[in-house]
Amino acid sequence: MTAAMTATAQRAEFRAAGTDLSERRRSGVSRGPLIDLSATPDTIGVTWAADGAATIGALTSIAAIGADPRIAAAYPGIAAAASGLATPQVRHLATLGGNLAQRSRCWYFRDPHIACLRKGGSDCPARTGNHLYSVAFDLGPCVAPHPSTMAAALLAYDARIITSQRPGISIGELLGDGSNATSDHALAPDEMIRGVELSAPLPGERALYKRAISRSHAEWPLVEVCARAVVTSDTFQFIRLTAGGVAPVPLRLAACETALQGKAANATAIAEAARLARSGANPLPMTGYKLDLLEGVVRDVLERLLEKVG
Amino acid sequence: MSTMTINGRPATLPDDPDALLVDVIRDDLGLTGTKLVCGAGVCGACTVLVDGAPVVSCLMPARAAANTAVTTVEGIGATDLHPVQKAFMAHDALQCGFCTPGFVVEAAVFCDAWRKDKGTAIPSREEIGAALSGHLCRCGAYDGIFNAVAAACAGQFDGIEFASPRVEARAKVTGSAKYTVDIRHDGQQEGVILRSRFPHSRITELDLSPARAIPGVSAAVSLLGDDRIVRFVGDPIAAVAAKDRKTAEAAIAAIRMNAERLPSVIGLDAARDPGSPVVFEKSSRRKAGNVSEGTPAPAAWNGNVRGPSSAFSQKARKARNWVAAAREQQNPWLVEETFRTGTQSHSCLEPHATVARFDGDRLTVHASTQSVFHLMELIAKRYRLGHDKVRVIADHVGGGFGSKGTLGIETTAAIDLAREARAPVRIAYDRHEEMSVTGYRPATELKIALLPSGQGGLKALSLTAYADTGAATNSTLAALARLIYPAEAKELVDYDVISNLPPGAPFRGPGGPPMAFALEQAIDEAALRMKLDPIALRQRWDPNPNRQRLYDWAAGLDLWRNRPTARAQTGRYRRGVGVAAGYWLYIWQPGVKIELKVESGRLVASTATQDIGQGSRTVIANTVAHEFGLEPHDVDVRIGDSDLPEGPGAGGSRSTASVIPPTLLAAQKLKDAIEQHAKRKPVPGSNAPWREMIAASPDLAVASVRPEDSRPAAPDIRSPMKDAGFIGMIFGWMLRRFSNLAVGAGVPSSVQVIEVEVDTWLGHVRVLSVHTGIAVGRIAAPALARSQATGSVIQGLGYALYEARETDSRSGNVLSAGMEDYRIPGIADTPALSVHFDEAGFDHVLGGSVGIGEVATVPTSPALANAIHNATGVRLTEIPIRPDRLISALKGRTAA
Repeated sequence: MTAAMTATAQRAEFRAAGTDLSERRRSGVSRGPLIDLSATPDTIGVTWAADGAATIGALTSIAAIGADPRIAAAYPGIAAAASGLATPQVRHLATLGGNLAQRSRCWYFRDPHIACLRKGGSDCPARTGNHLYSVAFDLGPCVAPHPSTMAAALLAYDARIITSQRPGISIGELLGDGSNATSDHALAPDEMIRGVELSAPLPGERALYKRAISRSHAEWPLVEVCARAVVTSDTFQFIRLTAGGVAPVPLRLAACETALQGKAANATAIAEAARLARSGANPLPMTGYKLDLLEGVVRDVLERLLEKVG
Repeated sequence: MSTMTINGRPATLPDDPDALLVDVIRDDLGLTGTKLVCGAGVCGACTVLVDGAPVVSCLMPARAAANTAVTTVEGIGATDLHPVQKAFMAHDALQCGFCTPGFVVEAAVFCDAWRKDKGTAIPSREEIGAALSGHLCRCGAYDGIFNAVAAACAGQFDGIEFASPRVEARAKVTGSAKYTVDIRHDGQQEGVILRSRFPHSRITELDLSPARAIPGVSAAVSLLGDDRIVRFVGDPIAAVAAKDRKTAEAAIAAIRMNAERLPSVIGLDAARDPGSPVVFEKSSRRKAGNVSEGTPAPAAWNGNVRGPSSAFSQKARKARNWVAAAREQQNPWLVEETFRTGTQSHSCLEPHATVARFDGDRLTVHASTQSVFHLMELIAKRYRLGHDKVRVIADHVGGGFGSKGTLGIETTAAIDLAREARAPVRIAYDRHEEMSVTGYRPATELKIALLPSGQGGLKALSLTAYADTGAATNSTLAALARLIYPAEAKELVDYDVISNLPPGAPFRGPGGPPMAFALEQAIDEAALRMKLDPIALRQRWDPNPNRQRLYDWAAGLDLWRNRPTARAQTGRYRRGVGVAAGYWLYIWQPGVKIELKVESGRLVASTATQDIGQGSRTVIANTVAHEFGLEPHDVDVRIGDSDLPEGPGAGGSRSTASVIPPTLLAAQKLKDAIEQHAKRKPVPGSNAPWREMIAASPDLAVASVRPEDSRPAAPDIRSPMKDAGFIGMIFGWMLRRFSNLAVGAGVPSSVQVIEVEVDTWLGHVRVLSVHTGIAVGRIAAPALARSQATGSVIQGLGYALYEARETDSRSGNVLSAGMEDYRIPGIADTPALSVHFDEAGFDHVLGGSVGIGEVATVPTSPALANAIHNATGVRLTEIPIRPDRLISALKGRTAA
């Protein structure tokens, strides 16, 4: 055991279903005490307010979210994200809270014999090494993209995260801005996620989620995008685009949104806006392709959103 | 203390918070149908039902199973087989069988839910693919799985009798088949290996006593060689055995060690630098591994570069000069390109594993091996034991693909530990070990120049190959281009580039797929420049009779005749069709013996071969049954045990051609013996005279040895080695003398036509269909032959599109040492597959059959790249063709 990794190794970790932790326990990347979470009425299942807003308990399984017809109707981007991540057998176990609080999938981080910033080391071996699957928006010292697909989707819905210590924080507050080298989230050591609050959907809104991968299923996204839109009279009345897989935290694609907001909803406008998805990107030597994929996925989901409207 | 119910029975759960459900199921409860493979929730082999929902038991804390009802594969068909199990058997939806229990559990739940909702409607391939997307099968049995699940959902297997084409299928679908990792002796200890964390170092101090001092540790042994140098991350240093894995790991961590770091070099580019640190000094070169199946021929070493090996060239200087002149003259038909292929990991789902046990002076070794008999010989030689003192057993083997053909560290370490511990010891590699130190198909750089003559013949071919062999040598790629497309001159040069990476190993057609990736794209390019149909050009340049028949078949496919015009498409999605050809050697193993008996009124066929999924049990059963007019299940086949008569290794596609001829001879002998001993003749007009004769026969036994082939009747069926002239005959002689492999006459061949759809926005390739024509003689077990052919194609698609071992070029760590970062094809990536067997060409082989496994994977990657070129006009020179590479190529950039 290298000294470089003892910092995280000793910290106690909450365990929900363990789908992320078990692998790190087996490899020795995680060695600290475990605190098992057990479901309580407020941390499992979906509750609906009279205005159509939902609260999803943190220990609700990803499969349950993906299979819930009311979620699919009200928040189709969240349902699609839940059904698109990992594998069916992981989704049956994995929880919403665990998905948000999971650790990096970077292969350097996951190797117990390699020191890295996330394990208390002094530099990022991926940045100067093999970073084929790393970020294209280089926002912090660690170049691993944030692994949470649910976070990318929830960001598009302005979800509020209820924790054991705070009543409702944004995805940005939950995950930080990417500048924290040692953690994948900004929760306090003894702070746990209890649930996620979603506002009622906008009248007439549509949403889609899509990831670019090399195979057809069961792969961490190279790029993933969640899009919400309200289109009336062939105009984007409302547009929200978020991306995962490209930055240390999920990103709002603000330049794309601005280019489309209040504008004509057609293929030309979409193609032009999609080009802006790469605004602010600063890819690493091996990750420039992610920007092409990002543009492609944005264009794909927006075109399909229009088809749905039509 | 908490409890769960498992398959209807109560079971206690351990208090250890780190205990995982899979370990409780397998180790505590002995329900070994559930398999541990990836340990990361990716492959699905560990899938069980928890309160009816399929979950990954490799990631589920055992604690979380408290007060639940768990069902394993043993509980699925406990009373009657589930329709899904029957369908898997009937549709041959399995090969090695290691992934099968996981698939069966998931498919059974899917099928039950489907039937409840939709009656007997048939689910689409997309629906089945999505439902089973959490499962991986390395043999590539996906086509059979699609068919099986669809048939079960359609109600076709409700309570019916059915026949299974694979004789051991029932054991595999019920989880009762025992693999090496499932062996559990009383008092068995668990062995773990201490491995180097540095790419190159000398171990100056190694003190095992702190490990031995830990309670529960039964043995600790050094694995260092005489020079005490370790040459790659993961090179073994020492091993310990203890009462359980946790204790063994603690003991490994306690070993006191000092290492003197030595300068290191990683990978193909750095190691070619003449100034790079040398991995093998002259005195240590024999320690290098071997990436081919034959013994290395002598070659020059220059630092870390071994070669040139150019014995298979033919008028090399002429080839070089003609190409140079054509380049100077800007000959538009001269095709010159540099191709690169990635490192392909075997990714066997059953890891390399051995259980060693001494009973007095007799050693019994259960091993996950491709060669029980040869492994017995190697163990006997190394430990100076008589052949009668060593027994190697492998009832079932969870994949090999070339990586389990020799005596590996998992075996020697287990034996060493068992001897010291005076107890049985198991070593089973974890997934990181399996994906990093058990071998791989080396990455290559291939420089090719192909020059047509002015008259449209093939004038010159130049191919220089550099193989990224790590701590190994003996790559043979360019040389393989001698045995196809005769030219006026060929310059064929092979180099091994040795570096501080784990050694490569033979992998399904060693050298064949990367050679074909370069050559078959160059042929395609030449056809385009010559404005010829690529199949027509091959018909002109390739006189091999087996492939000529396959070219005729391919040229007649509607898909080929209606293929898109090159470079005609501009939309987001572009469709393309490509073709490529491939060959492999017809290899058989001399000395193979089949014993055939009548035992208590049943037929028993025995030989010390093993079935790693290729289907040798069935091939033998079918052959015997056919001779006696019986059904395969009327024949007991005993294999997987080195105490049986000498049998072939499962490598070099040799099994079928090695076992059928002696089986046929033995069948004739046994018939004669039965008739001699018969007290009365069968009832006249009986439909099964032999059944009666055998039932009435006393116990009898005969044996036959694999005969030499007869001389082929047709003059164009020749030995490819003899065709290659003197050097070919030398190599053929060496293979027979030193590797006990005979290269026969006739060339197993494959021609593939592949259809793709390219998504130019997302850099994604969807393979729509693969038509594979294969000429390997008569098909001995049709359903299994089809499974092996389609599985080889699927592995070839993985090679072409997804699979790449990623390493860190500074530390030498394998980064993609898990199943989520090393991406093998999933079921939903499977295209429509059609297989055309051309059964002629091997009448000189008794029985007429040769092997399939290797030839079927050779042409896949170039056929796919040619299809992408047809779709997009862009030639992909590097595999795998991942989204990053495809998108860069489409945009005219160089990928990172």
